[in-house]
Amino acid sequence: MAETSYDWEKIANNSKFLELKNKKRSFLFSWWIISTIYYLLLPVISGYFPEAFRIKVIGPINFGYLFILSQFVVAIGVAAYYAHVANKDFDRLTKQLLDVLN
Amino acid sequence: MKKRIAAITLALTFSVCAAAPLAVAASVGTAAPQTPAIAAPAATVAPAAATAAAPTAAKAAPAKGADTQPAKVTPNRGITIGMFALIIAITMGVVVWAAKKTQTAADFYTAGGGITGLQNGWAIAGDYMSAASFLGMSGLISLYGIDGFMYAVGPMFSFIAILLVIAEPCRNAGKYTLGDILSFRSSPKVVRGVAALSTVTVSIFYLIAQMVGAGKLMQMLIGIPYRVSVIGVGALMVAYVVFGGMKATTWVQIIKASLLMGATTLLCILVAAKAGFNPVSFFTDIVNNPAIQDHVRLNVLKDAIPKAGMDYGQRFLEPGLFLKSPLDQISLGIAWALGAAGLPHILMRFFTVPSAKEARKSIIIALFLNSSFFFMISIIGFGAALYLTPQGILAVDKGGNMATLLLAQHMGGGAGSLGGDVFLAFICAVAFATILAVVSGLVLAASAAIAHDVYVNIIKDGKADQHLQVKVARITSLFVGTSAILMGLAAEKENVVALVALAFAVAASGNFPVVMLSLFWKKFNTAGIVSGLVVGTVTALALVMVSPVMTYPKKVAADAKKIVDTLEKKQATGVALADKELKTLEKSRVEYEKNKDGSSMVGLDKPIFPLKNPGIVSVPLGFLAAVFGCLLFRDRRAEDMFAEIDVRQNTGLGIAKATDH
Repeated sequence: MAETSYDWEKIANNSKFLELKNKKRSFLFSWWIISTIYYLLLPVISGYFPEAFRIKVIGPINFGYLFILSQFVVAIGVAAYYAHVANKDFDRLTKQLLDVLN
Repeated sequence: MKKRIAAITLALTFSVCAAAPLAVAASVGTAAPQTPAIAAPAATVAPAAATAAAPTAAKAAPAKGADTQPAKVTPNRGITIGMFALIIAITMGVVVWAAKKTQTAADFYTAGGGITGLQNGWAIAGDYMSAASFLGMSGLISLYGIDGFMYAVGPMFSFIAILLVIAEPCRNAGKYTLGDILSFRSSPKVVRGVAALSTVTVSIFYLIAQMVGAGKLMQMLIGIPYRVSVIGVGALMVAYVVFGGMKATTWVQIIKASLLMGATTLLCILVAAKAGFNPVSFFTDIVNNPAIQDHVRLNVLKDAIPKAGMDYGQRFLEPGLFLKSPLDQISLGIAWALGAAGLPHILMRFFTVPSAKEARKSIIIALFLNSSFFFMISIIGFGAALYLTPQGILAVDKGGNMATLLLAQHMGGGAGSLGGDVFLAFICAVAFATILAVVSGLVLAASAAIAHDVYVNIIKDGKADQHLQVKVARITSLFVGTSAILMGLAAEKENVVALVALAFAVAASGNFPVVMLSLFWKKFNTAGIVSGLVVGTVTALALVMVSPVMTYPKKVAADAKKIVDTLEKKQATGVALADKELKTLEKSRVEYEKNKDGSSMVGLDKPIFPLKNPGIVSVPLGFLAAVFGCLLFRDRRAEDMFAEIDVRQNTGLGIAKATDH
């Protein structure tokens, strides 16, 4: 296979690559951690502060129900935002890097 | 050889097809189907659905056929079997088509990388939409309200970790299996061996749970005996995988996911229409429904006398009716957030698309499909509670697993009407397709680990031509599938809840840490992978073995004793017991005698570890072991090679193409 001829070490120190890698890492890990914490708030609040879930918001619909719904919204939101950033920035940077290398 | 495998598989399939009508005919005359809980036919909610049902199953099991259910679902046999046959025919058509295109190892394991992001998204979503979520979760909501809905968030949210940190790097750096990703810059043979062992462990646990669930579900839905349905489902699954490989497995999953989404959407719209598309009045009706209020007060909270100031209807929309231990929920949450990303059959699907971009697209589509699915399931669950009453659902199955089916029948026009019969039969057929699709993916993942990692790369040093690789993969699939059937038959009476908990715990504590560290940590090496996988897996296994999920005979005996005492006391006061109570008394006595001197599988009287989900302990331990193992035995070569995996996983440079052979 042809790809064994790449000088990986050299590419790994390429400034374009470092830019791509750092941008990706900080974006992905921070959003991953934020969304995971948001998700884990669900068992924490419902388990230790159930009163909060009981607060009625619209008619019989309480904060708990809305908070669960918000989990769906947040998950889709994070995914959509990531898709947007990845398509706009990461894919462009990757393409630029690959163009330089080839 | 190929012909011989074909012959065996066909023989298996036909023997089942021939046996099925006989079995059905026979079972028409027998007693009403039992109410075994859908023990855990699935990926998703298995633990909850099954926990809810476990006590029921335990009580019902010894008295085979003695129980007469006050109510039951009776699908129209003709229509139902017709729909089942249609599904078998369509999927078999897919297999024949896929078999022609499966020539190389890449075709077999990854459909030649020729699946699009959209198709793969549907397939991944399908892996998550199991019979347990379709039937079990809506049942849980119909009986316990909002707690069931809360349960649905985990499977949906697990996509976030997969999307952000797993899917694209794995697609860029891997080829067919978990072993491919892990062995990149470590001693390939050792790592592949351990990774294959872990993959097979996770997949087999999961598979047995699915097989048992499938058998019980078919028995419950259309009265096919347990053994026949396990063999039937198994034979179909083997046929899909052996002949069609990943292409057939993916398309079966796509077909099933579309059917399931269609059925769910239709049912959800019918419920919403009945509620006038007004969520506030829908929930107001639920809160004010006297049947739901009584159910919460008497069946769930067991308040014989209403507590002053307690709004039992509103209580249905508040947490804590089903999920009681907060720490257990957090632990389960961790398993969801991380474990799904370590499941080999999900991991394998990233390799079926041509690029990281398509992998990303597939996860986003899967996330969108699944969030809609789980949201609609919640509407169905609440709708079932409102329009059928929890008492009505409980009367058919104590785990609530029949809620979706009953609602379909009700919405179609009621029992006996043509609309009701057709809709019910359709939903049954969808549940059947669901099981078939999920088990096939599992067999493929386990076979890939054995054939690709162990045989081709360890035994043959990677020197095997395409023809041999595909042949070995087919033989392995046949072997894995047959073993799954045999184990499914042997495990009929086993408590399969523990198996699903195990699969998830091992994936989260063993696989996830080492995959992450391999991709992102420069110093990570062979020692780290081995110690992480071993410690994570063993801890998770050990904790589940001593946790409350296992069956503790002394506890079963104590519960039986309580019933015996109550009824005997009643008898002693001179009250004549009803027929049903006498039966219960007899059953409980037998139960007590049988279990009073027993102990759990590992010889315990009661659980040592208090949580059902070991994630909160075993995941950190898995990470720690991986880090320590790797720092104890530093490896220069692995560190030097990090540059390569780092570039590959970030850019997709040198990505393994389907055509690389």
